[in-house]
Amino acid sequence: MSPETQMYLAQGIHGLAYGMLLFLVASGLTLIFGMMGILNIAHGAFFMLSAYLCVTVLGATGSYWLSLLIAPLGVALLGILVERFMLRRAQASGMGHIAELLLTLGVSLVLAEAVKLTWGTEGLQVNVPSALAGLVNIAGLEYPIYRLFIIVLSLVVLALLSLVLFKTRLGTIVRAAVSDPGMVSALGVNTQIVFMLVFGLGSWMAGVAGVAAAPILTVFPGLGDQIGMDAFVVVVVGGFGSLFGALLAALFLGELNAFGIQFIPKLSPVLMFSFMALVLAFKPTGLFGERE
Amino acid sequence: MKRPVVWLAGALAVLAAIPFVFGPLHTNLMVRLAIEALFAVSLNLLLSYTGLLSFGHALYFGVGAYGAALILTHLQGIPILVAVLLSALAAALVGLVLSPLLVRVRATAFTMLTLAFGQLMFVLCSKFREVTGGEDGIMGWTTPPLALPGLFSLDLRQPVNIYFFAVGLACLGILAMWFFTKTPMGSVMISIRDNQKRVDYLGYQVVLTKAVIFCFSGFFAGLAGAVYAVFNNLVSVGGVLHIMVSFQPLMAILVGGIGTFFGPILGSGLLLLLEEVTQAYPELALMISGVIFILVVMFLPGGAISFGARLRAWWRKRAYLRKARESEA
Amino acid sequence: MRVLQRTIWWGVAATVLLGVTLGTGPAQAAGAARGFNASAVADMTGFDPAKFENPSGDVVKIGVLAPFSGDAASVGQIYWATGTWVASDINRRGGITVDGKKKKIALIKGDTMGKPANTKQAVEKLCLQDKVDVLWGTAGSHLTAIIQAEADKYKKLHLNSGSLSDTLMEGKAFTPYTFQHIWTTHSVGATLAKFFATRQERKFYILNQDYVFGHELAESFKAGLKKYVPDAQIVGEDFHPLFNKDFAPYLTKVKASGAEMIFTGDWIPDSSNLLKQSRQMGINLPVAGIFLDDINGLIAVGPEGSKGLVFASELLINFQDGIQHKWHEAWKTWAAPYNTPLYEWLGSTTGAYAESLYWLLDAMERAGSADAEKVIKVWEGDEWTGLIGQKLTMRACDHRVVRDTYVTEFVSPNKWYKDCAFMDKITTIPAEFVTLPQPKDSSRCK
Repeated sequence: MSPETQMYLAQGIHGLAYGMLLFLVASGLTLIFGMMGILNIAHGAFFMLSAYLCVTVLGATGSYWLSLLIAPLGVALLGILVERFMLRRAQASGMGHIAELLLTLGVSLVLAEAVKLTWGTEGLQVNVPSALAGLVNIAGLEYPIYRLFIIVLSLVVLALLSLVLFKTRLGTIVRAAVSDPGMVSALGVNTQIVFMLVFGLGSWMAGVAGVAAAPILTVFPGLGDQIGMDAFVVVVVGGFGSLFGALLAALFLGELNAFGIQFIPKLSPVLMFSFMALVLAFKPTGLFGERE
Repeated sequence: MKRPVVWLAGALAVLAAIPFVFGPLHTNLMVRLAIEALFAVSLNLLLSYTGLLSFGHALYFGVGAYGAALILTHLQGIPILVAVLLSALAAALVGLVLSPLLVRVRATAFTMLTLAFGQLMFVLCSKFREVTGGEDGIMGWTTPPLALPGLFSLDLRQPVNIYFFAVGLACLGILAMWFFTKTPMGSVMISIRDNQKRVDYLGYQVVLTKAVIFCFSGFFAGLAGAVYAVFNNLVSVGGVLHIMVSFQPLMAILVGGIGTFFGPILGSGLLLLLEEVTQAYPELALMISGVIFILVVMFLPGGAISFGARLRAWWRKRAYLRKARESEA
Repeated sequence: MRVLQRTIWWGVAATVLLGVTLGTGPAQAAGAARGFNASAVADMTGFDPAKFENPSGDVVKIGVLAPFSGDAASVGQIYWATGTWVASDINRRGGITVDGKKKKIALIKGDTMGKPANTKQAVEKLCLQDKVDVLWGTAGSHLTAIIQAEADKYKKLHLNSGSLSDTLMEGKAFTPYTFQHIWTTHSVGATLAKFFATRQERKFYILNQDYVFGHELAESFKAGLKKYVPDAQIVGEDFHPLFNKDFAPYLTKVKASGAEMIFTGDWIPDSSNLLKQSRQMGINLPVAGIFLDDINGLIAVGPEGSKGLVFASELLINFQDGIQHKWHEAWKTWAAPYNTPLYEWLGSTTGAYAESLYWLLDAMERAGSADAEKVIKVWEGDEWTGLIGQKLTMRACDHRVVRDTYVTEFVSPNKWYKDCAFMDKITTIPAEFVTLPQPKDSSRCK
């Protein structure tokens, strides 16, 4: 392979890896939105918190795999508590969506500050687990194994999610509740518990993404800001509540980022928001969404 | 008819006395309040009166602020009021240009579209540093005095003068918006919030009304931005176009009381007060704000303005019960 | 009771120290230049920035302008920790003699939140309400420009220890109340270029943060290369967003460009992420920069990954030097949560911050007054020996420091850290090569 082709191949895989990480964050966000109509602004903060929990679990046990298991569960638990004790009350306030938006904004502010008080303001580091360190040869291109692992991990989570959504009774209820929560409730299903579980599941996915991202990034209080915004764009472009749309949009934005940096680095950040505005202007529901 | 006049005169007298009673520090605080309140009320026109939640109102604020900075830097000798009005008009123009896209969408899609435009403007202005100065922004221009030739000339660097300039413009702007909500078009606006389809069927121009509201709201947000520029004598991307600039008035509306006209003004005041109080513990400031937002949403969804009504209701209930007990006895 | 006991104890300690200082006094007067005296530093046992208490009574007030909240709160923490360290040292020594009596140092926070409007408010509060004697700050030239304008308005001394911009002290922006202690972007570019003139690398890739400072540094590096390494090539130049997540697309371009060295002005977390991700991708190109002393980030890439990095600074502690070593030992006594490499390593940031305060307070003591006009008179043209024994001159006409600068290449093993490569040999770049020329447009500089 010529060095040039290798470079483009590398950019392609970079786009894929970042896109899949983005999907992992965005899928939780879109799931919550599709089900409950809530745009969770604290989603990025959950991502960040999970990376910090990863640092702590790693410090205590020395095992990255254990932190991959525990940290997202901790975040999921927090998500469930936020849903049960705060969001439910906010939804009952009759202020519409602004209540949820500001409540989750409040939660994200509190989390960012709580993290500083607990772990300090300095950047912390997580190493790539030794089993995944190093490079692998893809048709002559030396590529870091860990980035491939992120792609695989996202695919596994996607597969698990699809399994739950399309093959279990809970999934049937969730999908039904997405299209008509009132009817599902009338059929005798306790939608409140379903909502709580979905919120927990969505937060768990942000948590998985946080742990997955920790080894390639410095863990600091602002960790979730940028990725939270990117995930927002993915959800909007893909269509609110559409998992498939989020997957496509995440991959597209990942590649747009990689090749944007390759060819037009000066305009790279402008591209994303231009694309978002363009999609919304012509299809207000996003590419694959049905709900506004 | 007489009471409101007395109230108004009293309020004006208090406003006029403030810079002479307090020092320059607190006078400046009032200038900030004027800017924040004007900005929040302009956003509230969309939120409480048209039912549209915007995440990108900083766009208009930023255009107004950058407009004023650029005009005052490059067009020397232009009267200050003309500069400020031109900047506000520029913001209104942005509203007009975007309205063909914005009128089509509602609910979350509207929120996201405004977010996209707001962020796009933020990124673009960060990129075009030659014009905007990027993070450094534009600063240090000479602000012309507020003058009527032959009559008076006020140096706007003096806290007292900038106070009357800012508070005066903010009061005029807020009054104009207040009257707008009372016009027939204001009523159509509220009806759009309640049921857009029905308004359409009744033969009103939904699209046109919305476009006018965007321009109108954008104009006053731009005015707030222009006053901000004059007051601070500096404008930067992070200070006027950042997403938190869009969130700030939303918080003011929520804390003050959503669905009311005066809530956002009260909310702006309370937020500034909160900032002043937490200044001594900067490490905890954001944490405290976060907790307060959560508490307001959960326990006081009507905002601070509803607190008075609640208190009154509680008081009446108490008085009633006491009376009932007394009559029983 | 304990407070009283402690006071007496410190009183005794201060007297002893004073005696020591007086004892060495005549020798200094005989010829040695004025400057920082490492052996005069008080016993700092038990010092804790979080428990710093302002002395009461007649004090010298310093307003600390830094982001104490928000995403950049770590910067505020560094300012506060360093400021309280210096203030505690001086206070434990009894204070400085001003207006004919000993005055202690008080520090007051002014939270900039990293935003322009908040910075302006913070300065106003410090000047009008707290009535500070000195404004001390801050990172970010856009914020420093504001403080500078306000300092001029309120006629307050302003010490800039955090903004490197070349233009802050030029043209209309100049004010006699501001002193820029920190080096400038021009010096950074010149320092590294002068260093590379003696080495093999000729192909450079510039990878900086996409904001004013990043662009200024890139320009200064290019200008420096043009002057000192005319045959150098810039094989690529990219600007990434602040707090960037994925550096891989940039690094792939760097690799394809055939660069021998990456130049970056990034600070943490970007600098650490750039380093970490490049090593993970098997790209072991050396990186040259001025914020590479983030020990956590260096340890994350290990001795192999951090080997060969080129680090430039206006202040580097030399481990071999006895006095410097002793001073560093004294400096290292931090209480939790400050007992991290960031604070224990008397690095370019903390060290330069501390140095600027020591110099200011010394100038104040010699002026015999905290009055801005009197301090300005003493400080202008002042020659002083800095923290590591280097000669500093406060240039009278534009209030910028003339000083040597330092470059080092990280090696492993080294005397500092065993888990990462770090400095060993230090190359001094003489002031004449790196100092920003005096502004031509100024009537003060003739």
